Amino acid sequence: MFKKNMAALMVMVFVLVSFSMAFASEGPAGNDRKGKYTYRKVYKACMKTGEVKSATPTISPADKTMGQWQEIFENKNFDEFGCMDNWTQLADKDILDIYSYFYNHASDSPSPATCK
Amino acid sequence: MKQRCLPKYLMALIVISSFFFSFQSAFASTPKTKDEALGRTLARQAVKDNKRWSTADHSRIDALKKDFTTGEEITKACISCHSEAATQFHKTIHWTWLASGDKNDIRYGKAGYSVNNFCISGNAMEDKGCLGCHTSWNKKGVKGTVNCLTCHNDSGFNFTEALGDIKAFLEDGDPDTNEIAVELQQEVKEAVSQVTFPTRKNCGDCHFKGGGGDGVKHGDLDTSLTKPNRMLDVHMGTDGKNFTCTRCHTTVDHHIAGRIYTNPAVETRKSLIEDDLAPKITCVSCHSGEPHKNDSKMNDHTDVVSCQACHIPEYARVNPTMMRWDWDKAGKKKNGKNYIEKGPFGKPVYKSVKGEFTWAKNVTPEYFWSNGSQTSTTINDVIDPSQIVKVSHPVGDKNDPEVRIYPFKIHRGNQPYDKVNKKLLAPMLSGKKGFWTTSDMDKAIEHGNKTLGIPYSGEFDYVETTYAFPITHMVAPKEKALDCNQCHIRETSRLANITGLYMPGRDRSNLIDTIGWLSVFGALAGVFLHGIGRFFTRNGKED
Repeated sequence: MFKKNMAALMVMVFVLVSFSMAFASEGPAGNDRKGKYTYRKVYKACMKTGEVKSATPTISPADKTMGQWQEIFENKNFDEFGCMDNWTQLADKDILDIYSYFYNHASDSPSPATCK
Repeated sequence: MKQRCLPKYLMALIVISSFFFSFQSAFASTPKTKDEALGRTLARQAVKDNKRWSTADHSRIDALKKDFTTGEEITKACISCHSEAATQFHKTIHWTWLASGDKNDIRYGKAGYSVNNFCISGNAMEDKGCLGCHTSWNKKGVKGTVNCLTCHNDSGFNFTEALGDIKAFLEDGDPDTNEIAVELQQEVKEAVSQVTFPTRKNCGDCHFKGGGGDGVKHGDLDTSLTKPNRMLDVHMGTDGKNFTCTRCHTTVDHHIAGRIYTNPAVETRKSLIEDDLAPKITCVSCHSGEPHKNDSKMNDHTDVVSCQACHIPEYARVNPTMMRWDWDKAGKKKNGKNYIEKGPFGKPVYKSVKGEFTWAKNVTPEYFWSNGSQTSTTINDVIDPSQIVKVSHPVGDKNDPEVRIYPFKIHRGNQPYDKVNKKLLAPMLSGKKGFWTTSDMDKAIEHGNKTLGIPYSGEFDYVETTYAFPITHMVAPKEKALDCNQCHIRETSRLANITGLYMPGRDRSNLIDTIGWLSVFGALAGVFLHGIGRFFTRNGKED
């Protein structure tokens, strides 16, 4: 009886841990902190070309939900960001970092981005 | 002939001369500012040299040129020269969040028993959501170190974020992020040296966004005052006098002049003529008690009506302000999730975590007698839940010579109260046990009241409340001040609720009306009788 209970318990723990890991790996696996600065660098570089007047990005992660950012970054549809020349120069790793920043600080994320 | 004419010429010359001199002396005795009100002349004199100057160039101070890794290191650099600054600041309400400044007297203050009908309570600085506006590094409250840059840096740089990121980048071992850390260090250094007297933005970062957002709390303080024009505020307008907040909110030992909960900004109105060291916090300080032209009827109003009552015709003239917040609607979900609904002005009208709101623009103030003090109902005061609870309300007895009629924003709403103890409650909002995380108001109250040591019976409901804010900013140009008929009118007077004084045009007195009509009819009768008398006593004379 004890063995059966133990086995059941282990199965439950296994299922629970697997479930948690599946959810934990739902978001992009880039470096969101690094992504924030890479994103800012895009606009600093863009301002130098004269395409934008300010080096401060106009789009914030909190402007959309996690689902909306997922759709944009998975389709690599960066039109609304402007500065396309600068976006196309980014390595995949950099884009993953920026995606992580936007996803992890989206309006419905646990820590939405603020201006402060 | 010549001899006889001489006296005549002399007489004529004397007459002309005396006429000429009389005319000249009459003009000489007329003040140069005849066309300008004394109050304006005095105020212009008080601010004629508005240029700030400093004896220090902070970009050349060695203590500020090092690589900072924490905010505390920056403060240490500041007080290496400004040795008494932190000690002074620790005694102010900006640090203690207690009205008295005494940590044992917690009756009034955000860190004490005071509540409002916005985010309700600061929960003795335990609610970290509020501490974003405390002047310490890293939301540590009074346990932390003073962040001098909150008020004395105009770079707009986010030091807390940058220093946190530098630390993380230096620790993660990635050469790319190390490079970012070095760049950030340089940005921090450049930003730290931008030391300044407090700007409108420094003060406004908290005071314009009190209650959780732009224009939520005060109707006359919002981000539109960061760079206002003269039409919005004649004093602060960048195209006008371009005042910073501290031009009027003068400072002694880091104590900033202004109302503190129940205490008025000043005990008595004094102009700078009476006391040149008086704080410049009132209109009278610079404009005197008779601010209008000598022959103006307006000067007869200043012993009853505040300057603000006429010169701030509406508040929230650029950005909307919140007028109502209903906590009893909070906690609703859509698909099991919190949600936000936006309404007019693009402002939220519903938030699951906060409840339901209404907003308004160009709002006509409500008027009350006020001596500058306010009542304050705390969570330690017994309330009558069958009545609207005035959490904060102006105090003023019309017989008090210091009392005037002032404009106010009255923010209405409902908030939780203890059904058994008949007291307002202090739910914890942020954090793991806070309402914003759990959506459980009962548990949030239990946790929040515990931070202040106030018992909670376990039974709560919602009570209607009001919170009054004096309207003193957003002073319009004089041509936009109220007309007489905004108040002196029978049906729609702005001062309809002001009792205890007779206002011509608004009020009616049968006795005065009777005397008036009797005078009119008496005068007419007199004219008529006089005419009749003259007619019948002419004795046949036609001329």
